[in-house]
Amino acid sequence: MATTRQDVSAGRIARPAETARRKPIDRQDGAAYMFLSPWLAGLFLLTLGPTLVSLYLSFTQFDLLQAPRWNGLANYERMFTEDQRFRNALSVTFWYVGLSVPLKLAVALAIALVLDKGLRGLTLYRALLYLPSLLGGSVAIAFLWRRIFAYDGLVNEVLAMAIGFDGPSWISNPNYSIYTLVILRAWQFGSPMIIFLAGLRQIPQDLYEAAAIDGAGPVTQFFRITLPLLAPVVFFNLVLQTIDAFKAFTPAFIISGGTGGPIDSTLFYTLYLYQEAFAYFRMGYASALAWVLLVIIAVFTAIYFLTSRYWVYYQDER
Amino acid sequence: MFGSVSRRSLLGGAAGLALAPSLGRDASAQQRTRLRMAWWGSTDRARRTQAALEVYQRKNANTQVDTESVGWNDYWTRLATQVAGGNAPDVIQMDYRYIYEYARRRALKPLDEFVPAPLNITDFGQANIDTGKVDGQIFGVSMGVNSTAMFYDKTAFERLNIRPPDHNTTWAQFAELCTNMTRAANRRGFFGTMDAGFVEPAFEAFVRQRGKSLYNGDGRLGFVRDDLAEYWDYWDRLRKAGGAAQGDIQALYRSTPETDLITSGRAAVTFAHSNQLVAWQAVTQNRLGMTMYPKGDRPGQYYKPSMLLSMSATTTQAREAASIINFIVGDADAAPALGVERGVPPSARMRQAVLPTTDELGRAQIEYIALLADKTSPLPPPPPRGAGEVEQLLRRVYETISVGGARVPAAVDQFMAEAPRILERA
Repeated sequence: MATTRQDVSAGRIARPAETARRKPIDRQDGAAYMFLSPWLAGLFLLTLGPTLVSLYLSFTQFDLLQAPRWNGLANYERMFTEDQRFRNALSVTFWYVGLSVPLKLAVALAIALVLDKGLRGLTLYRALLYLPSLLGGSVAIAFLWRRIFAYDGLVNEVLAMAIGFDGPSWISNPNYSIYTLVILRAWQFGSPMIIFLAGLRQIPQDLYEAAAIDGAGPVTQFFRITLPLLAPVVFFNLVLQTIDAFKAFTPAFIISGGTGGPIDSTLFYTLYLYQEAFAYFRMGYASALAWVLLVIIAVFTAIYFLTSRYWVYYQDER
Repeated sequence: MFGSVSRRSLLGGAAGLALAPSLGRDASAQQRTRLRMAWWGSTDRARRTQAALEVYQRKNANTQVDTESVGWNDYWTRLATQVAGGNAPDVIQMDYRYIYEYARRRALKPLDEFVPAPLNITDFGQANIDTGKVDGQIFGVSMGVNSTAMFYDKTAFERLNIRPPDHNTTWAQFAELCTNMTRAANRRGFFGTMDAGFVEPAFEAFVRQRGKSLYNGDGRLGFVRDDLAEYWDYWDRLRKAGGAAQGDIQALYRSTPETDLITSGRAAVTFAHSNQLVAWQAVTQNRLGMTMYPKGDRPGQYYKPSMLLSMSATTTQAREAASIINFIVGDADAAPALGVERGVPPSARMRQAVLPTTDELGRAQIEYIALLADKTSPLPPPPPRGAGEVEQLLRRVYETISVGGARVPAAVDQFMAEAPRILERA
């Protein structure tokens, strides 16, 4: 692609034969951009525009009803020097991301490995297992989760019957509430599972056969063949899931009724941002929060990409 | 005529193209006036309001009222966004908590010019008219009178043969009664009362009974450290004695009828507002009763507008909007559909119209409002900016006691330090 673009800029010197070959490609580029144009228009007008405005707003005081008032770095200053809830929201979010992403990926990979063994009715299982991912953000799940993790919920009833243990109200107890949300996230393993499954199908079977002949057991095969060859897929899932987990909003919002409670134990960063913006109408401060989140996500993504060369192995690389 | 103008504009080229859409809009406006009305509330409220508006549209065939109805939290998000975008609904259900903010930022239109016609509120009584005034002008019309109230589970009290609280029950008696109730019921996860340590209206009644207020006239806290300490101590003791719900069960409450402990069979008493009896009764099989908050030395409760109707400052159909407001709050034809779901109508002729059509719940509400007549004190000034955040703070800090196990004095210190900062920043 890069070379093509260079050639185009030096187009006049290019040999006629090449030009003839390239021209249709150029026309294809045009067509591609044309097809992309609705999305591009959306990006520039609906995403990029508001994004830049929010950058401006992050330096202002703005309550939606009155015009924004410039107040320089005051929002950022408050955030980093005096805002306890900001610090708490950060720590809740880091906990959540740090626990839920590895757990979700592990569950997704484990299920994908089982499905890859070639079950009968695979498509049905795949569809059924994908279902939670579609339901995860819905209000009904908030109720389901309460039914499961409230003090008289399913979990406690099972515990009481099995070992006679009187469990707490997991979902509304600040010591445990965040874990119920982590479990909710891990339960929605559908999309990384599908991607893992596709990745597993790409691994040549003869490698396993050769390994088996050499006397490698299933565990060795998994760590020596499956995992290394799956690394690009793991990388892809890791990046997407991390970004997604940082942006998680709905589960905490619906399960805590928008409060992030009890005692801010489920106050996700995004939920705090939402409260500042739409409960207390501090749009300027909320915009500043949004930009800090953007930087945090960018830093994480950059770390992944920079370290990837040490652990991600691409088959077509020589 | 429209045809000929339109053809000439078309010949005029670009100018004509620019004109045509606006002409089209004018022409259709002559046929039909369209307005938008928005409110927050349950599906029951939506059904009632839409039924009333249908009656209005039958009487005024040229008017079409589009409706928007969402829950309390989403409502304020949505309204602020709409106002900022210049797209506010013509008729807006307003809350006493927000009316000063919206009126002073010129988001609402003063209604004085529409009184008495088309807006006839002469039989409201001065007090009910004044609740909608900001800086001497009418910016909202009260839709119903309500007050805070305690709901109790009549069925549960009758079954256990315990006398439910009434308007003479003191705080001390209430604590004893609730502890007995828990003991008598003897069911895991069931308590005499909810833990109202975080319920702002209950705390407000408590401080008013002590001659204080939640906020004073210049928007600062109207109570001192000791008031809060004593209130939280009361609930902390009651919870530890078993009379009030344990912390992590109370924390399941999400300010909706179906998550309230009384409707989910986890408590026999809850703290709410009188007009909410309709919504709360709708989600439980047990029969609910209603009485005043526990009694103190002075009156703690007051009459307030449950909600108000306001008009957007940017409406282009002001007269029509005023006539809709008048229909909802003052036309006997609207009464059967609306009932007392938004509180007891402030208009005397509306009350007359509602009475024959109302059910037991409606009568209970009307009787309750009448019972309060000599037991209330005047409406406090509207809460200052930042009050909503302080309300959240009250809950968050109280939960450090009830679920987090913090000690009362430490929590009180935290609240008394943070609340003034919030008010200052707002």
